[in-house]
Amino acid sequence: MAFCRTAEFLYDALPLRSVRGWLIRGHMERCPGCQARLVGPEEARDLLVRPGRLGDPEALWRRISVETERAAAAPEPAPARAGLAWRLAAGVAMAAVVAVTGFWLLREVERPGFDAMAVAPADRFEIDYVNVGGEPAQTFVYQPQGTDTVFIWATKTP
Amino acid sequence: MDEQQIIEGCLRESPVASRAMVEAYGNLVLSVALNVIGNRQDAEDVCQETFLQVFRRLDRYDRERSFKTWLLTIAYRRSLDMLRKKRRFSEFSARAKFEPSVISRGGDPHPADPEPLPSALLERLSPKERTALCLWANEGYTAGDIAGVLTCSASTARVYLFNARRKIKALLEKDHGLLQNG
Repeated sequence: MAFCRTAEFLYDALPLRSVRGWLIRGHMERCPGCQARLVGPEEARDLLVRPGRLGDPEALWRRISVETERAAAAPEPAPARAGLAWRLAAGVAMAAVVAVTGFWLLREVERPGFDAMAVAPADRFEIDYVNVGGEPAQTFVYQPQGTDTVFIWATKTP
Repeated sequence: MDEQQIIEGCLRESPVASRAMVEAYGNLVLSVALNVIGNRQDAEDVCQETFLQVFRRLDRYDRERSFKTWLLTIAYRRSLDMLRKKRRFSEFSARAKFEPSVISRGGDPHPADPEPLPSALLERLSPKERTALCLWANEGYTAGDIAGVLTCSASTARVYLFNARRKIKALLEKDHGLLQNG
């Protein structure tokens, strides 16, 4: 009985299917005490619809035969065309979003007046110098209006 | 007509064989769909779609596998699709709340009932647990057989079946206790 409680505790505490499967196979399927806490096949059948209670499948066949004839008369739909079209559309949309975002970012960065000298430094943000390849670099600092985000763009001085 | 003859006939698109298949397996598929979905009309739609898919894709059936398991796998997947589409569980649970007779016992308390339904207690189970319980109780399937239909490991199928049996037992006992106290 103590082992049943331990097994049940482990079953509830460890929601891993492999562990649960092992506990069921190793103990619960064999233990009469644990089996008594499960619904039996007869009780379960009382709750379910049984195939034998459904009567003659003639009506079902009539429905299916009508659909079969209809399907045979209709032309075969082109397989996977719709899926391909959707994938193409999604690809084009994604490329458009990337292109527009990239264009906007580049345009903003390259706009005159957005270099380090022109933009007021953000609160508590300071940059004394930037080196690229051991040489002082040309540095641009960009802060979009109304945000606390600061972009730093550094290129090697020509 | 035995199973192999039916399959061969359906592959030749013989209406006689198609009819024989529906007569042999129609109620089985309908009962599984009905037990998983809990709604007669949707279950009939699933049953019809299952057979149409079987007739179309019978050339893909692997003869090494059990035909019944293959058929039930299609029926199960179609039932899940239907559940996803319809989301009729709210109606089902609402009926369970307001019709105590449905809760208390099985779906077909009157043998003459033309449209038997599964007990509303099954609504407390997940579709996988319902399918596992239905195949085990109605068809005598083992965890390995159920795994073939649910397309999972036997260990996982065993867990679904165990959970279903445990939950239903607890609910029946709670229900019984309520009837005795009330």
